[in-house]
Amino acid sequence: MIEADGISKRFGEQEVLRDVSFSVGPGDIFGIVGCSGAGKSTLLRCLNGLEAYDGGSVRVMGREVASMTERELRALRREMGMIFQNFNLMERKNVEENIAWPLEVWKTPRNEIVRRVGDLLDLVGLAEKRTEKIRNLSGGQKQRVGIARALALNPKILLCDEATSALDPKTTLSILELLRDINRRFTVTVLLVTHQMEAVKTACHRVLLLDQGRVTGSGRTEDLFLAPPASLKKLVRDEYAVVPTGINIRLMFPREIARESIITGMARELGIDFSVIGGRLERYRDDILGFLIINVRREDFDRVQRYLGEHRLFWEAPDDVA
Amino acid sequence: MWHELAAALQETLYMVTVSTVFSVLSGFALAVVMVLTCARGLRPNAAVYATLDLLVNLLRSFPFIILMIAIIPLTRFVAGTSIGSTASIVPLTIAATPFAARIMEGSLMEVDAGVVEAARSFGARDLRIVFGVMVPEAMPSIVLNIAVVAINLLGCSAMAGAVGGGGLGDLAVKYGYNRFQTDVMAYSVLALVAVVQVIQGVGTAIYRRMR
Repeated sequence: MIEADGISKRFGEQEVLRDVSFSVGPGDIFGIVGCSGAGKSTLLRCLNGLEAYDGGSVRVMGREVASMTERELRALRREMGMIFQNFNLMERKNVEENIAWPLEVWKTPRNEIVRRVGDLLDLVGLAEKRTEKIRNLSGGQKQRVGIARALALNPKILLCDEATSALDPKTTLSILELLRDINRRFTVTVLLVTHQMEAVKTACHRVLLLDQGRVTGSGRTEDLFLAPPASLKKLVRDEYAVVPTGINIRLMFPREIARESIITGMARELGIDFSVIGGRLERYRDDILGFLIINVRREDFDRVQRYLGEHRLFWEAPDDVA
Repeated sequence: MWHELAAALQETLYMVTVSTVFSVLSGFALAVVMVLTCARGLRPNAAVYATLDLLVNLLRSFPFIILMIAIIPLTRFVAGTSIGSTASIVPLTIAATPFAARIMEGSLMEVDAGVVEAARSFGARDLRIVFGVMVPEAMPSIVLNIAVVAINLLGCSAMAGAVGGGGLGDLAVKYGYNRFQTDVMAYSVLALVAVVQVIQGVGTAIYRRMR
């Protein structure tokens, strides 16, 4: 669907993207993750030609974006809907006028517009708000209007630029749920630019990590979060990193198996004590994964390491123990 | 006196209305070109923008009374005479056009860049974006600015009146000042105050309804 090969881009002296390569298959929900200023939004805009790139190649549905004429570019954008952090709706139009707007731009017949807008209002659950002014809507409702507008032309790809960053956690979840629903029902490929780890875990099949314009990791979401590379840890920075004494070990539970018995079993078998520092269960799309952080004495570390290895648990020591 | 006052008011309204229409139309056209060609615009063109920018600044640096005298030949060419209300519409329009262009440029620039980007993101053409997005979104602010232009022109028209254009300014100077008829002066001032109130009131009311 999208093939990016060695994209580079600079704003004056500053390199915004350096040799960024990735590919997105049809029907994927693909996350582009990084802290602010990492170049995520610029990267997203290179895909639909809102920004030009200086080097490398971007092929969307088999065609090079940089070599398109203005006319071809507009045709491409018709196939790629986009939603934004600040919604970017027309304040002076009401809900249905905003949704109808792309259809009007592409000269859709009036009765077709009415039918399509009705369908979209149902899809995003705003049928009752159809004549409401934009400024009377909540953030979540505004983003639903944004999504409906982005889908109006039946795009094959949906670009989401920090689409949930201005929303509260509960609304974020409902918007992500809607995006997943759209992805499944209409096989729309979704690209999700975000700095929110929760958004990535909830929605993305695969993830690209970006730091200062460079790719610092990529892969399936579960794999990345179960064994996070240094670049991801920098982003996650969980609250359990404090070490009193001894060594913290972070245990990952990939499936909901009674792993806890292994932990208590370890204490019995090895005859050691350890303290539980923290833990959490997290949703990764439909999976529930968990982790537990325990603190063991330095002298027990080798034996614990061996025991965990034998029982094939994913684990890591967050602090540097060579 | 009431008769003169009514005639003067009529002349003033005529000058202000016609010159407001002309200067808003030409100022709007200039503003659209400037917004399109500025560095952040949809069709950046440094040469065109710099030229218009200079032209606008140049015309705005003339005090109205000097501009009016300086362009008398042009006024005579366009209006056939350089005296009277109709003639004064020429300098009034020329003086207010760059001002109108500048403040409407401001209105258009204030339109949320995100909305413009959204329009680009689904493939709208540049002209469609200007007239379908920027102008409608900027309309409330443009309406307020039209009121500013009209009130500004009212001030200028009094000046034009004093040098032969007729209207309330003429009346105030001729009777109120030169003939020491304080009551005429007072009524002229009251009429001017009333006109400003009406223009601003209408502008604000339309603005409220549009938002």
